[in-house]
Amino acid sequence: MLAITRPPGPRQNDLLASLSAADYNRLADALEPVPMRLGARLYEPGSQLCHAYFPGTAVVALHYVTESGASAQTTGVGCEGVVGIPLFMGGGTTSSSAVVHTAGNGWRVERHRLLQEFDRGDTLQSVLLRYTQALMTQIIQTAACYRHHSVEQQVSSWLMATLDRLREGELAMTQELLGSLLGVRRESLTQAAFRLQEQGYIRYRRGHISVTNADGLRACACECYGVVKTELQRLARGDHSA
Amino acid sequence: MHTLTSAPTPPRIVAQPAQPGVPLSDHSDAKANQLLAALPPAEWLRWVPQLEAVELPLGRVLHESGVAMTHVYFPTTAIVSLLYVMEDGASAEIAVVGREGLVGVSLFMGGESTPSRAVVQSAGQGVRLRAAALKQEFNNSSPVLHLLLRYTQALITQMAQTAVCNRHHTLDQQLCRWLLLSLDRLQGHELVMTQELIANMLGVRREGVTEAALKLQKAGLIRYARGHITALDRPGLEARSCECYAVVKKEYARLLPRRLAV
Repeated sequence: MLAITRPPGPRQNDLLASLSAADYNRLADALEPVPMRLGARLYEPGSQLCHAYFPGTAVVALHYVTESGASAQTTGVGCEGVVGIPLFMGGGTTSSSAVVHTAGNGWRVERHRLLQEFDRGDTLQSVLLRYTQALMTQIIQTAACYRHHSVEQQVSSWLMATLDRLREGELAMTQELLGSLLGVRRESLTQAAFRLQEQGYIRYRRGHISVTNADGLRACACECYGVVKTELQRLARGDHSA
Repeated sequence: MHTLTSAPTPPRIVAQPAQPGVPLSDHSDAKANQLLAALPPAEWLRWVPQLEAVELPLGRVLHESGVAMTHVYFPTTAIVSLLYVMEDGASAEIAVVGREGLVGVSLFMGGESTPSRAVVQSAGQGVRLRAAALKQEFNNSSPVLHLLLRYTQALITQMAQTAVCNRHHTLDQQLCRWLLLSLDRLQGHELVMTQELIANMLGVRREGVTEAALKLQKAGLIRYARGHITALDRPGLEARSCECYAVVKKEYARLLPRRLAV
């Protein structure tokens, strides 16, 4: 499972938890705890990134807004990942923004410190690159999913992926926020939410969505949920067998 | 929005098995690939004896979903599509790679394989390097590491933009984006491409592509005859395309050395 309960601290984040003791200890004093509030924007399109964020209990959407104002999430990032990959990949800015959609905690590292450790080529480098590879899988899957799958499947996959990232508490999401993250019209989302509620998988009241039957919801999700999860787990293990 | 329906039919690209490469006869050919051209002299000298020239015919599969890659490919004149193929056979193109890039980023990022497929969408040539050699260079040469990571970041931008584009833009806009990205990777203004293959790449019905291509032809932007698409009015195509083309192009120009940008 993605969500392994860990004692509070930076090692709630899977990437930080998978560093060797020596690499973690070198980075530890540079890890600054940050509250990640609902709706907070960790970075804006085109702006220079100053920190990499390692979510603990928070969940962040990498989100793109088109010229016409329509938007869509390309991937989510929670305790399994890091926000700010252009810092070590190169470029230092992105064309998307990063928005907290589930409030919680996290840790951040200033860019120079991160790069200093990354360039040593130790476990931090391989952990971050493998995570970036997993992130690419997610983006690829999102692109294919937006093309081919129904809104109901997409909502189910999104809720399941977000549930996996939660270590405590319940998933609570407004219809408005979910619509903007998935980039679907209100009517389509309402219809999909009603159908999932009729089957008893979610509770949907006054625009608020919560999950009541994760097994049922999983059966409604498209293959994308499983593909991304399997790949994330494979890469997190450092296992190279396909 | 959701006007595009999925292609219910399985992919029609017939996978062709990989063929052995041959030693490079002319080193300057390899430098048509702009990542190879950007290698520092010491790296270039180490790489040259290990590079193999490969013919990349239409439909050749360079890597299959979930299968460990044996080589990394640097297209010189060919264009390669990275496709995701669904369980039911429907597919969607996620990114295109031409002379500005390479196929096989999971070799150095980690994981060795990826759940997507790489298939040649425009026939031509390329150069390849064995996986082990690439990994060694990546781990031992900081310029190689940074060059390859910057390229990967540009590729990620293209993938993310495709996701957004699939969600929000019309097939007409997407076809323009796709034509422009492909033309940028070719010398000349002509693509050899059937509508069926374009539909397959974009993951839409063929009728939709036919209709969109007809509109572009009526507007005098392209000429389409017997599988040959000729761009007649590039600025016109750019004006018809969604913003995604410009976003991707700008990001490639920013991230890759100036002469690398397509």
